[in-house]
Amino acid sequence: MSDVPLIHLDGLTKTLTGQGEPRPILSGVNLTVHPGDSVAILGRSGSGKSTLLSLIGLFDRPDSGRYLLHGNDIARVPERRAARLRSQEFGFVFQRFFLLKHLTALQNVSMALVNGQGWLPRRKRRAKVMAALEQVGIAHLARHKPARLSGGEQQRVAIARALVREPKILLADEPTGALDTETGALVIDVLHAATHRGCGLVLVTHDHAHANRMQRVLRLTDGMLVPEHQGVFR
Amino acid sequence: MGLSGRFRSALVIGGQGIRARKLRTFLSMVSLFLGVLAIVTVQAGSVLANRALLADIELRMAKDGTTRVNLSSSGKTVPIAVDTLAGRSDVVGTLTATAIIGEPGVRPINPGPSPLKYANQDMYGNSSRMVCDSSGTCRVMEQDAAGILPRGQAVELQLVLLTGDIRPYRPFPVEAGRWLDFGGPPSLSPSLVLNREAATALTQYRLPAEMQIISEAKNPTPRIIGTVHDANEVPTAYVRADEAMAWMSSASLGNLSLELYLNGDGEPLLQTLLARMSAVSTDPVEPYRSVVNSREHIGGQLDLMRWIFLGMAALVLLIGVAGILNVGLATVGERVEEFALRRAVGTPRLLLAGIVLAETLITGLLTAAAAIGVGVAGLQVAGTLFGDRREMLHDVAFPWEAGVAGVVAGLVAGILGGLFPAIRAARIPIATVMRA
Ligand SMILES: Nc1ncnc2c1ncn2[C@@H]1O[C@H](COP(=O)(O)OP(=O)(O)OP(=O)(O)O)[C@@H](O)[C@H]1O
Ligand SMILES: [Mg+2]
Repeated sequence: MSDVPLIHLDGLTKTLTGQGEPRPILSGVNLTVHPGDSVAILGRSGSGKSTLLSLIGLFDRPDSGRYLLHGNDIARVPERRAARLRSQEFGFVFQRFFLLKHLTALQNVSMALVNGQGWLPRRKRRAKVMAALEQVGIAHLARHKPARLSGGEQQRVAIARALVREPKILLADEPTGALDTETGALVIDVLHAATHRGCGLVLVTHDHAHANRMQRVLRLTDGMLVPEHQGVFR
Repeated sequence: MGLSGRFRSALVIGGQGIRARKLRTFLSMVSLFLGVLAIVTVQAGSVLANRALLADIELRMAKDGTTRVNLSSSGKTVPIAVDTLAGRSDVVGTLTATAIIGEPGVRPINPGPSPLKYANQDMYGNSSRMVCDSSGTCRVMEQDAAGILPRGQAVELQLVLLTGDIRPYRPFPVEAGRWLDFGGPPSLSPSLVLNREAATALTQYRLPAEMQIISEAKNPTPRIIGTVHDANEVPTAYVRADEAMAWMSSASLGNLSLELYLNGDGEPLLQTLLARMSAVSTDPVEPYRSVVNSREHIGGQLDLMRWIFLGMAALVLLIGVAGILNVGLATVGERVEEFALRRAVGTPRLLLAGIVLAETLITGLLTAAAAIGVGVAGLQVAGTLFGDRREMLHDVAFPWEAGVAGVVAGLVAGILGGLFPAIRAARIPIATVMRA
């Protein structure tokens, strides 16, 4: 663990306005993630877990509070720079796999490298993609299109896509939500393995078994993160 | 690295998009095709019409930039002009007389001379003695004591006397035989070159080649050496001035109006000529100058028509644009998740918008290429089918202006049809799409 945390959130707030009146979703979130850390976030449906991940992943910006990435405040970073940071710093895994159905597994992973942020020649690109597919154990399925893959295999393609740029932080939003227990455990194994190489992991899940494999387990309630055991054992 | 990385990424992403939606790209092209073709056709048609009209006017008036000078003349000044200008091409003079070819002692079939399509019709009823030529000049027909001559196998011609080769100014194409030779001494029997109308008259009415220059006593026997196209409907014969003048009295020469053709180089010779003419003339020699500028003149006339037709073509194009726009918006709607995902992995929104725009631009350009191809082929087909009958379509190359118009139409349609979807693609909120 180095001194400067990967991520440090300090009093982050977010209010969302749908139809009707504005609803405060996050009201002062504090969170620190160091390299190699793994954090699970639990919470009721609708408590704002996905909203929090979208702030961490720079899909959206907080209303107030500080967001330090490697010690630099990026709470109000402009979109161009945010796109570059998403490419360089983050890997994303979602409950739905978001694979492009007209592309093969290899091309689906490759798309994270073909994003207008730098350029790798075809060969190097292919080598990286194959290494990532190897890492999640499905290199032999590289030429398959999503329709010919099982749910677990599809999710592993998505994880390979998240890993291929060697991100500093993995953000996973209910990655096992669409999978059976056994396959889900396998997916968590793959994500967990990434933390051994110094990658930070923030995992949103409803499954306590998966959550308990992380170093820390937090719960999002009333727009704030609290350690899970406080809620359970007090 | 930065820019080329972007560009290459755009190529890969755009290529994947088009490959995944080949049929859709094709249908967009179909919807756009008619509009672009209409633009190409209108532009090609107007350029060709313009060219044909201009070529016609060049024959009839003179090339643009030519100075035409009309001079009052007299029996004394005309020989001086002919002498001064003999064999020169920097200033060329013309004198227009009237002659009759055919049976002697009969009334020509086209008094005036008038175009042959009015042959055997008296313009103002049978008893009229007034005849008019195509330029609107009218004169009283000569009449002998017995009244109007009987009609006969004779054609009246405009006889144009040339001091030198006029073709640098009015580029008559030779259609048969050869053009006048202005080198060497004049021949005793004048050589004539006919225009189409005169040549037609001679073959159609099987005229004996006896020529009578109006109001002259002696009749030369001309040799007809060729036919040219001069875009004149009045039967006309061109002849070397020195050859024709041998048969004309100085009194009748003085009645002919003298017209000069020159461009910048001819100015010194013109001044010499004017000085020499003034020296022998009692009346002042009054030159009336005009510079031919038909391009501008007919440009104005045709432009209005062109804009009207282009406007209609643009409407057809607009319908095609609506088609592309429809397809483009539907496609972006379908690709919301893809775009959100691409942005999530770091693709800049501008690049995505650019790719969407580029996809429709490529569609527009491909359509333009197809429309231009069809235009070129169509013109060739029209040329082989109607080339003989329509001067305008004979052996013409596809005008580049029409190609440019097609490409511009394709680009504009691509931009109009792609901009909206591109903006929409750039605005997709990732957070909403990716929420689980
Ligand atoms: N664009 C939006 N505008 C307004 N409200 C929104 C918007 N998106 C989400 N919300 C609301 O914000 C709250 C938090 O949503 P979020 O998706 O973060 O919950 P979550 O904790 O991820 O739930 P789940 O466990 O079901 O995924 C929800 O009540 C939702 O209705
Ligand atoms: Mg959620």
